[in-house]
Amino acid sequence: VASSADDPAALIEAYFERGWTDGLPVVPPTEASVAAMLAAARLTGDEVFGEIPGRNTVVVADKVAVNAVLAGCRPEYFPVVAAAVKGLCRPEFAYHGPASSTGGSAIVVIVNGPIAARLGIKSGNNLFGQGVRANATIGRAVRLTMMNVMQTQPGLFDRATLGNPGKYSFCFAENEEESPWEPLHVTRGGRREQSAVTVYASNSLYQIYNQLAATPEPLLRCFVDALVNLGVPNVKGFNQALLVFAGEHTEVLGKAGWSKREIAEYIVAHARRPLADFKRAARLPGEPTPADETTLRALFERPEDILIVSAGGRAGSWSACLPGWGNKWTQAVTTVVEETP
Amino acid sequence: MKLIDPTAAPVARTVHLAPRPADLRGLRLGLVENTKFNADTLLLKLAERLRDRHGLTVTHMARKRSASHEVDEAAIATLKGRSDVVISGIGD
Repeated sequence: VASSADDPAALIEAYFERGWTDGLPVVPPTEASVAAMLAAARLTGDEVFGEIPGRNTVVVADKVAVNAVLAGCRPEYFPVVAAAVKGLCRPEFAYHGPASSTGGSAIVVIVNGPIAARLGIKSGNNLFGQGVRANATIGRAVRLTMMNVMQTQPGLFDRATLGNPGKYSFCFAENEEESPWEPLHVTRGGRREQSAVTVYASNSLYQIYNQLAATPEPLLRCFVDALVNLGVPNVKGFNQALLVFAGEHTEVLGKAGWSKREIAEYIVAHARRPLADFKRAARLPGEPTPADETTLRALFERPEDILIVSAGGRAGSWSACLPGWGNKWTQAVTTVVEETP
Repeated sequence: MKLIDPTAAPVARTVHLAPRPADLRGLRLGLVENTKFNADTLLLKLAERLRDRHGLTVTHMARKRSASHEVDEAAIATLKGRSDVVISGIGD
């Protein structure tokens, strides 16, 4: 489409007018900037990243690259964006559900391995917040690709009742350097020296505060309590959850010698609640019976369903809990970042 | 300067619609339940009305893997074998 817009502001307006933005101004792409994006990942543009069943959607590299430029990515970020988008296309992510649902999930993009430090992807203070280009633009590129390429426009195939701010962008790295644990991508089958991206759908984030806990159990009780609240998105079947432990809480758990696996086992064993509670709150059908008062309903099935990351600031007694968007029919996916030698 | 279109349209696919029956009387009705609470109740109520008004009989109710997934091929094959018309659309 030809444009008379030598004026950058007019060009930005032209993208707004066509509905091609997320509500924020975009960086107008040029053929050169798109080519640079592809070149940074050694792609030619016609590579198919994946398909979305039910939407007749084929995701091709060149369109993802255009959206990465729009988002403000530097070219060297593109291998991370590409890995994240490939993850969304994998069958086990079951894209149509989390992308379309009234639940309005954010796609959390967790980066592991050497590329995180190389690109400056924040893993410390305020990592969920504003201020770092790599975090902000990689997450934004994923969402713009969803909107523009994967038919996920709000009001059309994105039917979020409320949505959430994480739908603009939600990307961070694990603080592997200071973590006492194996990194997330290693737990999920990768090698430590590899870089990998995990995509995970969550429709909420809440911070967990505990300044007094000096041992794992009282601290983890706070997470359990948060995960079994009566308003959880899904009570039919089992879920996934993402726990992000910041510095002080990581230290409490690490000093006690608890592994990620032991933490996950604790959560699975304790995140359960009487059936009667769910029935009284009309989250499950029927009147509570006397047996329901003592019959516990587990929210999680296996320790592998609890994703654990060490990240966030060293000071402050905060961590975070991000329940999965829905039942385990949609699952987090970890994809290796294909880096150029 | 020029605008570069960041969008990709869905890939066009030719779909052949099944011929519509001229009359519903006496036909076999298939239902696709999407696993959400009360979806089966609603569908069966609908089937009841169709039976009363048009004489349709429910012959099969398929259950999807999840609300997010498509109806799988095996379920489609069963529905084709056991039904003349199918109700498959149900939302929140």
